[in-house]
Amino acid sequence: MSDIGVVVATFLTAGVEWVEAFTIVLAVALTIGWSRAGMAALAALAVLAALTLLGAGFITSLADAGYIQFIVGLFLTLFGIRWLGKAIARGAGLKPLHDEALAFTKLTQSAVLSETRSAMLVAFQGVLMEGLEVWLIVVALGVQTGHTAAAALAAMVALVAVTAVGFMLRAPLAKVPENTIKFLVGCAILGFGSFWLLASLGYDWPIGDYALPCLMVFYAIGGLMLIRSFATPSSPHAT
Amino acid sequence: MKGLIKTLIGDGRTVACVAVALAIALVLLETSARPAAGIVMPLVLLAGAAYLARH
Repeated sequence: MSDIGVVVATFLTAGVEWVEAFTIVLAVALTIGWSRAGMAALAALAVLAALTLLGAGFITSLADAGYIQFIVGLFLTLFGIRWLGKAIARGAGLKPLHDEALAFTKLTQSAVLSETRSAMLVAFQGVLMEGLEVWLIVVALGVQTGHTAAAALAAMVALVAVTAVGFMLRAPLAKVPENTIKFLVGCAILGFGSFWLLASLGYDWPIGDYALPCLMVFYAIGGLMLIRSFATPSSPHAT
Repeated sequence: MKGLIKTLIGDGRTVACVAVALAIALVLLETSARPAAGIVMPLVLLAGAAYLARH
């Protein structure tokens, strides 16, 4: 189960992040041209690929499996709780939903794109910062389960899919249900993180690996209950 | 650098929520209430997510 979970969680995480990165690259490309924006984006992807090799190599070089499990569990827990908290806040209407079209408009009107070099830097930084979360998931989930290549492939498939659709539309991918995906990924990653974190501290899960999907379902049900209880009148979940 | 750290581990509140959950789990694992760690820690983390959503 965890193998499929790794691929699905990585694909969805990467999809959300690449959509945000595409919005930035698109805004830059429409200002300074596709070739320069593309070069900046490719440079950032090359840095991320190098970081993936380095990160995976470093973590696997640590001799103690329990230590690796603790580090991976800790980072995934930090990541998962953050995404789940954000998704609950947005789902309940406490924070506005992330709007790709608005982000695109703001960026295209920004003075920083008026100069070619600074615009290329915006594209580079945008792809790098959005890609770092993908990098974290690929390395953490991949190393712990021994499926780094599969996780990296899932992230690349998401990249190709987002880029292909983005190129066809030539517009920000505003219709992607980003908050729903963030909610699901947050539950899954928090499930992985808390499962491995406690296991690394010597806790024996009573039902073994079956505890992992149970944790994910627990966070999903708990998260939905929180969205309901926090819902504001502007929220789609307000009753 | 600040952006990088925030991207990888989140802000102070996120770290505090996970630290509290971890501390409670560590205490439980050292006591006779050890079996409860698998229930208490997820509950504390969910409470942490609720706190982060509210703040």
